[in-house]
Amino acid sequence: MKKLAVIIVCGLVALGAAYAVALSTPYWFAPKHDAQVDIHDPQLIARGAYVAHAADCVACHTAPGGKPFAGGLGMQTPLGTIYSTNVTPDSKTGIGAYSYGDFERAVRRGIRPDGTALYPAMPYVSYVVVKDDDIKALYAYFMSDVKAVAQDNKPTTMPWPMSMRWPLSWWQLLFAQPRTFVAQAGADPELVRGAYLVEGLAHCGACHTPRGIAFQEKALANDPAGTYLSGSVLEGWYAKNLRNEARGLSTWTTEELVDFLGTGRTDRTAAFGSMADVVGHSTQHLTKADLTAVAKYLKQLPPRPGHEVAWKPEADTTTAKLLAGDYGAPGAAAYVAHCAACHRMDGRGAPRIFPALKDNSIVFAEDPSSLIQFTLTGGTMAKTPHDVMTFTMPGFANLSNHDVAQILTFIRNSWGNHAEAITEDEVARMRKIIKDKPVNYVPEAHNG
Amino acid sequence: MAKSLKIAGIILGVAVVAGAGAFAIGAGGTPLNAPPEKTFPVVDKEGKQVGVYRLPDDTSIPSLPNAELVLYGKRLLNETARLLPNNVGDKLNCNSCHLGEGKVDNGAPYINTVNDFPQFNPRAGRVVSLKERINGCFQRSMNGKPLDPDSREMSAMIAYMDWLRNGVPKGQRVKVVGAGPIDMKLVPDPVRGEKLYAQHCATCHGANGEGMKGADGTFIFPPLWGDESFNIGAGMARLYKAAAFIKFNMPVSVNLDHPVGQGGVLNDQDAVDVAEFFTHQPRPDFAGKVNDWANGKKPKDARY
Repeated sequence: MKKLAVIIVCGLVALGAAYAVALSTPYWFAPKHDAQVDIHDPQLIARGAYVAHAADCVACHTAPGGKPFAGGLGMQTPLGTIYSTNVTPDSKTGIGAYSYGDFERAVRRGIRPDGTALYPAMPYVSYVVVKDDDIKALYAYFMSDVKAVAQDNKPTTMPWPMSMRWPLSWWQLLFAQPRTFVAQAGADPELVRGAYLVEGLAHCGACHTPRGIAFQEKALANDPAGTYLSGSVLEGWYAKNLRNEARGLSTWTTEELVDFLGTGRTDRTAAFGSMADVVGHSTQHLTKADLTAVAKYLKQLPPRPGHEVAWKPEADTTTAKLLAGDYGAPGAAAYVAHCAACHRMDGRGAPRIFPALKDNSIVFAEDPSSLIQFTLTGGTMAKTPHDVMTFTMPGFANLSNHDVAQILTFIRNSWGNHAEAITEDEVARMRKIIKDKPVNYVPEAHNG
Repeated sequence: MAKSLKIAGIILGVAVVAGAGAFAIGAGGTPLNAPPEKTFPVVDKEGKQVGVYRLPDDTSIPSLPNAELVLYGKRLLNETARLLPNNVGDKLNCNSCHLGEGKVDNGAPYINTVNDFPQFNPRAGRVVSLKERINGCFQRSMNGKPLDPDSREMSAMIAYMDWLRNGVPKGQRVKVVGAGPIDMKLVPDPVRGEKLYAQHCATCHGANGEGMKGADGTFIFPPLWGDESFNIGAGMARLYKAAAFIKFNMPVSVNLDHPVGQGGVLNDQDAVDVAEFFTHQPRPDFAGKVNDWANGKKPKDARY
């Protein structure tokens, strides 16, 4: 009994110490750096607007149907739903009372003015490398150009004790160390700019880099193991492998990437799901020079060790069979009935209208999550001024798991594509993920 | 101490097994699948519902006694221009107008076609057979030549339509319509129609109505006017018929609804305006027009 008491006492002391350390981090781990910023400088505000686009702040800090930057977007975690916060300059419910130091520390270090930690849903592990000048511009933009909205933040749905924030300070000690952007020695300035955007403001890794057991991104910049940007799944979307390897971006040209990021589509594919939102909110507003820098940087990310560089499509035997009326392959008859009117017998679709399935890297991706989810739910392309019309693929949730699995296995292995089969179980599991998506929070804003 | 450890161990073990079991059941519960299939009422001549209709499944075609014929018919209706070049004078397919393989309400479905014929045809002023009706399409919408009524091709098309009625007997109808309602009192504005065409149609059908070809040379989107499109004898050349089609079926891929995300963008006035614009662009003449509406009662949107 005595031993037990000793263990309990030691445990409590350790817990108390851990709690004390957590409370102290704002003072030594991430101290505030105040500076004077002229928030009325029009040039600074304009630059801040560009930085905000590059950082895609609006995407998470706006709920669908809600006021811009007023928060309320629900994000699913295994422990509950986290809601994005109001970052409009409203002094009571938003960030209107933030000094520059408060703002800088929240964005780059994930710490609120009251010293508590932000959930890493806010990509401060990426924003930490953003340069002072960009953060200052961003501050000027938010304080002077974003419309204040009085809208209270919605608490997370996590139950106690998971709802306590102080353990997040320990998460930050482990995974969100201070660091600055390191340019590759001797690298072309264009590639350096691309790396800066990808690693920092654009925080591509938040979705495209695999996460570890503690939800930390396994790499925050290119690493020898090639984990960085090698593809990851969030909310049932596979954010694809962006490395220059067979099933990554090897089948994409730099020009196609620029076209994709700038307009949301190319002659053979289109952004959908979360990426359509990224193009709509963020990348379409970036300059061609910046998009080219991003594309060139991605194209030079070497393949992971042991992974092939080049994609080797097989010969297309599908088109001839379908044109000859041979629908005998599993999934072929269902493909012709439900898909071929738009995606065509040759799997080439229609340029900028119906994405091709042949040679489309999301079709033969290692992880089929996006393919399955998109087939079930459908979705709409990003709207940009480049194209007159914006197209939508209808959802095919009305098809059975059997039919969906067969059709997707068929398209993954036709017209030269080759990839693992899709099972009915995978389709059923995706229906569950879709059913369990978080509900966004869009209250009646108090003062419009 | 040892005994209490054992008891604790057993309790822990039971808890772990129970927990794992509960997790397995929770995770393994009934897998989600498609919602119940959409059905349409089947009504008798008095309009009383006598049953329900479900679209037949294409993957069941190979097990039909006349599988080859049905499949051939399906292909001919989908790929008419490519497979019947001697009969199709333009670049259209039957399913250019009969949306989604003839399975779509308001999109000229074939669901009731076999049961509806023979049928009185106001244009011909007499009762026509289904074969005659199909050949009417070949000469007008396809600006081509009729099929031999006894040909395998004709039988195949009808076999597909017969399969599509899915056992609904003659004398009954599935509650779907060929074309939805359009306000025929509306006065068309072709200038406005031209602007709407540029906004909602030209991306696919071309700025000059020329359609869009795929890499293999066949048309992805049909030409809407010019030598490669339907002639003035086609139903689609008539203002209100075209407007009704457009309102409910065009553009495609603009909403999340099955089967092709069609329609719901243009209102009646929009559809009438854009129909006026495109139907009156230059298109082939129809020699047989002299015989149409010989008994009078010519509709107000007739072209001749």
